[in-house]
Amino acid sequence: MAVKETIVARLAEWGLVLNENEIEQLVPAYENLLRWQSVLESMMQSKKLVAGMTAPANEPILIHAIERKGGAR
Amino acid sequence: MNASAQKLAFASISTVAESIRRKELSPVELVRASLDRIEALDSKLNSFYTLFRDDVLAAARDAEAEIARGHYRGPLHGIPIGIKDIYECGPTTCGSKSLKDYVAAEDCMAVRKLKQAGALIVGKNATYEFAYGFPTTKSYFKPARNPWNLAYDAGGSSSGSGSSVSAGLVYASMGSCTGGSIRWPAQCCGIVGLKATYGRVSRAGVYPLAWSLDHTGPLARTVKDATLMLQGCAGYDPADPASANVPVQDFSARLGQPIKAMRIGLMRSVYEDNCDPKILGPFNTALGEFERLGARIVDVPSITLTQMQAIEWPALFAETAAIHIDNVRHHGADYNPHAKLFVAYGLLISGACYLMAQRARAQVRDQLLEALAREVDVLILPTVGFPVSPVLDDSPGLSIVAEDFSVYTAIFNFTGFPAIQVPCGFDTDGLPVGLQIAGRPFDEATICQVAHAYEQVTPWHDKHPSL
Repeated sequence: MAVKETIVARLAEWGLVLNENEIEQLVPAYENLLRWQSVLESMMQSKKLVAGMTAPANEPILIHAIERKGGAR
Repeated sequence: MNASAQKLAFASISTVAESIRRKELSPVELVRASLDRIEALDSKLNSFYTLFRDDVLAAARDAEAEIARGHYRGPLHGIPIGIKDIYECGPTTCGSKSLKDYVAAEDCMAVRKLKQAGALIVGKNATYEFAYGFPTTKSYFKPARNPWNLAYDAGGSSSGSGSSVSAGLVYASMGSCTGGSIRWPAQCCGIVGLKATYGRVSRAGVYPLAWSLDHTGPLARTVKDATLMLQGCAGYDPADPASANVPVQDFSARLGQPIKAMRIGLMRSVYEDNCDPKILGPFNTALGEFERLGARIVDVPSITLTQMQAIEWPALFAETAAIHIDNVRHHGADYNPHAKLFVAYGLLISGACYLMAQRARAQVRDQLLEALAREVDVLILPTVGFPVSPVLDDSPGLSIVAEDFSVYTAIFNFTGFPAIQVPCGFDTDGLPVGLQIAGRPFDEATICQVAHAYEQVTPWHDKHPSL
């Protein structure tokens, strides 16, 4: 599916309909988002299991843990 | 405006507070001067949406009477300040036509605390729409102007806070910050912006932009003034799920202490291949100043600007979309065109991408905590990598998610570390340039110590725009 169609379909899932000009503006931003996804993936540290299999080496921050980590001396 | 009025307008909070404490200066006189200055200048600046003329004068009279009775509350008692218009406190528009008639039923916690400390709320400051939608000259709420050059933007999203404090209309203002919205306008307007540690100041009653990244904090003209403001609003609040139940430091305790032998971590990888030379020049000069003060500049391996953007923007816009989708469906036509587009953009971010950004965020946070534990005492970066922008006539579209939007502030939003922006000079067009110093979580006192040491040996905080 072309990027434009993907965007329209994804927004329709949320009940959001944009005009042609608005969709056009989202295209380069969406392409940049796809690039960022690959940047993020390359930043991830993974623990090797067996050939071709890895496990994530860190847990996402869903709530901040900075009260317990680091902090003022 | 005569010289003594000008001097009073740009005096520091600590100077004015001492005069109030000694009963040499009346809070009523001070508030009248602030209101007069706003009346004379704010038609050019657009830094206030709402003024509480009668209420603030009544509060000033109460403060005067209270101080006369010998009950002086502390350095914010009788000081006129502004509040960004996303904090619930009277009319609260969030800079959006969609909320133009909304009036908060009660003050949010940060405002309540500041009032308890004796601060006098003069009015509500202009903001980018919902703290992210850049206003243009065609917007319902017009952009706040930069006091250094009225053709230029004040930065954002705490635009009116930056503009009004820089112009000497008020002594400080509360801003909020999700990717840089305290430090960036502070840089654009040549003042100090202090984003405290995530959880340090309550966000209850402050309109959210992205829950896991939102912070609140003051903009002021000096480091000391910023610490006084933070002291007035910091503390645990069970009404904010992110509020940290930790002791409140004395944020000004280390001001004036030397920074000799302190290790300042320079995060070159973030900015060195993308920072505008107009910014880089003053920043590099400032690094020399820190060395003259006896500090050591130490290179700290870090991430690149692209990696910073890859973490910040998916996290921010996915959370923003979750907050705004219902409003955009019903009031989308009342949003700035690009503010609506950002919500649509957030809906395109997958769950896996959002979580990967959160994982990368944890990784960066841990690396920097390690550096702060072992190698350096604070971190330093330019605040942003591009000069102040002109006020826009047309929608900028999705320009802030473009590769060249070099806002270096975001890293301390997604790590949650405290960070302070201080002016470090002017670019070749005469517009302010700034740097930011960040440090260990809940150790605002150290970053303020370092920023204050720099401030005391440089002239930037004594320079004010002529309007």
